Amino acid sequence: MATARRTGDTNAVEPPSGAATPYDEMITASGDVRDHYAALDQRIATLAQEDMSERQRTLERFFLLQGITFTVYGAESSTERIIPTDLLPRIIPAEEWATIEKGLTQRLRALNMFLADIYGEQQILMDGVVPRELVLMAPSYRREMQNLYVPHQAYANVCGSDLIRQPDGAFAVLEDNLRVPSGVSYMLANREASKRTFPGTFRASNVRAIDRYPDLLLSTLKGMAADWRPNPQVVVLTPGVYNSAYYEHAYLARLMGAPLVEGRDLVVHDNMVYMRTTTGLRRIDVIYRRVDDDFIDPLTFRRDSGLGVAGLFNAYRAGNVVICNAPGTGVADDKAVYAYVPEIIKYYLGEDAILPNIETFLCREPAQLSHVLANLDKLVVKAVGASGGYGMLIGPHASAQERSDFADALRADPANYIAQPTIQLSTAPCLIDGQIDPRHVDLRPFILSGEKIIVTPGALTRVALKKGSLVVNSSQGGGSKDTWILAGDSKDVQP
Amino acid sequence: MMLARVADSLYWMGRYVERAEHMCRLSDVMLNATLDRTEAASQVARIVLAAVGDNDPSKANAPYDAALSLALDREDGGSITTSLSRARENARQVRDQITSETWERLNLIYLRVTGPGAAKQFADGSSAFLHDIIADLHLFKGAADATMSHGEGWRFLLLGVYLERAQLIGRLLEVCFGDRRRPLTDHFALTSLLRMSCALEPYLRRYTADVRPELILEFLMFDEDFPRSIRFSTARIEEHLSAASRYVDAGHAGPERLAGRLKARLQYADVENMELVGAGALLSTVLDECQAIHTAIYDTFVAYSLEMRLPA
Repeated sequence: MATARRTGDTNAVEPPSGAATPYDEMITASGDVRDHYAALDQRIATLAQEDMSERQRTLERFFLLQGITFTVYGAESSTERIIPTDLLPRIIPAEEWATIEKGLTQRLRALNMFLADIYGEQQILMDGVVPRELVLMAPSYRREMQNLYVPHQAYANVCGSDLIRQPDGAFAVLEDNLRVPSGVSYMLANREASKRTFPGTFRASNVRAIDRYPDLLLSTLKGMAADWRPNPQVVVLTPGVYNSAYYEHAYLARLMGAPLVEGRDLVVHDNMVYMRTTTGLRRIDVIYRRVDDDFIDPLTFRRDSGLGVAGLFNAYRAGNVVICNAPGTGVADDKAVYAYVPEIIKYYLGEDAILPNIETFLCREPAQLSHVLANLDKLVVKAVGASGGYGMLIGPHASAQERSDFADALRADPANYIAQPTIQLSTAPCLIDGQIDPRHVDLRPFILSGEKIIVTPGALTRVALKKGSLVVNSSQGGGSKDTWILAGDSKDVQP
Repeated sequence: MMLARVADSLYWMGRYVERAEHMCRLSDVMLNATLDRTEAASQVARIVLAAVGDNDPSKANAPYDAALSLALDREDGGSITTSLSRARENARQVRDQITSETWERLNLIYLRVTGPGAAKQFADGSSAFLHDIIADLHLFKGAADATMSHGEGWRFLLLGVYLERAQLIGRLLEVCFGDRRRPLTDHFALTSLLRMSCALEPYLRRYTADVRPELILEFLMFDEDFPRSIRFSTARIEEHLSAASRYVDAGHAGPERLAGRLKARLQYADVENMELVGAGALLSTVLDECQAIHTAIYDTFVAYSLEMRLPA
């Protein structure tokens, strides 16, 4: 039995009194293995401990050889590390995925409509559904985008939403990432690795394929310029080799067959964007940029940016090039706007949100602020503008001093913070020092939107490898594992 | 068509890979030679140090330390580790342009020489350590040849390899024969020179064991088929440049013309009447012209002025 091999306590975090026990992806509350994990459970039961460790080492070697590395900010000793990858896949059954897929499609449709609206007529603000100042004063709102034509109203061409599974087993959206979400290369690399590690189980499980992601991404990007350019030239814009996600930029460029460019490779002339090639300048139509808004054009955004291209935004305004994702999409994944997403869905689509939000307190509202201050020890407080797990306070795990410091910051600038209850992320079995032990995980699926919305039938499962930790961000020592979406009884139909 | 920056990185990747391989061979020959404490052995050490640009004569007395630092000193801009790190850094910048097979080979070598076990491996057996790097670099070149498209990117990679090779061999020959008053004549030193150029066996097959300085010079400079002769390298440079220049109007200052001239100079040289005393002057012309080709490649393909290339 799998339960017999589980070491340590099953509930590493002492939950705040009254909080529910986290959902385990593999084991039910009564200790049985869930059906969709049965095949994997039987396979690992036949493997000796050394065998597992050996496979784990082979896996790590595969990642190191491929150069699949990630830069951890602030770590001086080495700038490149492999992202810790766990051997055991996380498995999601077909019917659960169907709900997720529907929910994500609905959500991104609504968010794209929201962006088209606020950068256009601003009907939703006039109807008072979302407070005007919340949107217009958000640092991620770009007035430069006002009244600019975006094909198919597809602002967020690539979206990576963070989902978590709550103690009752239902998925909820923790965060929408509409700016430059990363991690898709790890999704693909993890799949390569787990096919090598558990080929038999993989074959028998009828796992949905994800290997079409690069060409779907390419056709989504091409579709953004297809109206006026028959065979658009697509490039991937990277900040360069020192960026933490450089591997991913190169990986996607290679698999799409698109040139990987840096700002210094591009020139704008007469509102057209060109790249410097060995044979002269060549025109570019679509830029899949992996550079933040602030840095894409020193003439329009940050003047001190050396990563962007002077004049790029004007070329975009002139309709001579498409920037993907569109600048200014960040306003729709702003942590304060997040609280309104269910209303936004209702407003544009007339539907209830299929995937719920996490309960969120907006500190900008005085009543909610005092509730947050009174319950700091139970809440997770996040800065609105920050990402990557920075600028946050996890109440139950913080010291009294940290809480009081954070309370001062809250009072000084309440509009900059939101608070959410401590979330119990679900747990999934991981191989830790040769033993199988549950760790907290989240789920980041990737959604493409262009002419249509495509949810990739796969995801990155991020793992908080430290026992009891809830922080899954790779910049703070998190890892990842492959995610198997089962095709179930239906035929595996690629989108 | 490829990005100018990418072409530049591929070119430098080729140069650094070739440099690393050459340095491995020099270190290995030096360490082997100096196992004997003869005058000829320290002459070999002096040749190696001069060829890598180190003019400190006292180092020839401590060849092991010199080889260790040449192999693993990351502070030293000319060391094998530095060259491999730079080659890999350039490869990382163009990761989307080279095949996974090619990348993996180079990354593997890099991980080995920069890993924690490198110093111990060198201490346990410097010759095996250096041989392994050379063998892996051959695998790298083989992987590039077998898996990369033989298009523009591959040509820039090989341009770097062959231009570096021509300059390294040229420099080595200049050290040995450039000084007309004291050309290299010692038999042991001459065979060491052939080993440094990876030319001993091909030379013996061509000229038998009759090892003479003028024949070595002839072989390493003018042989048509030996892949490390300067003439062979120049012919490849000319070949890759004319293919890469097809779409560029670089005018008369283009690298292709310079390469063609150098190739002709070596192809039609009056080898039969060549005297050892004239070698220095010819070598210095060859090295100057290689440098001019290098500059012209950069000016034509990478750092060209935008005004000249605006679309019509």
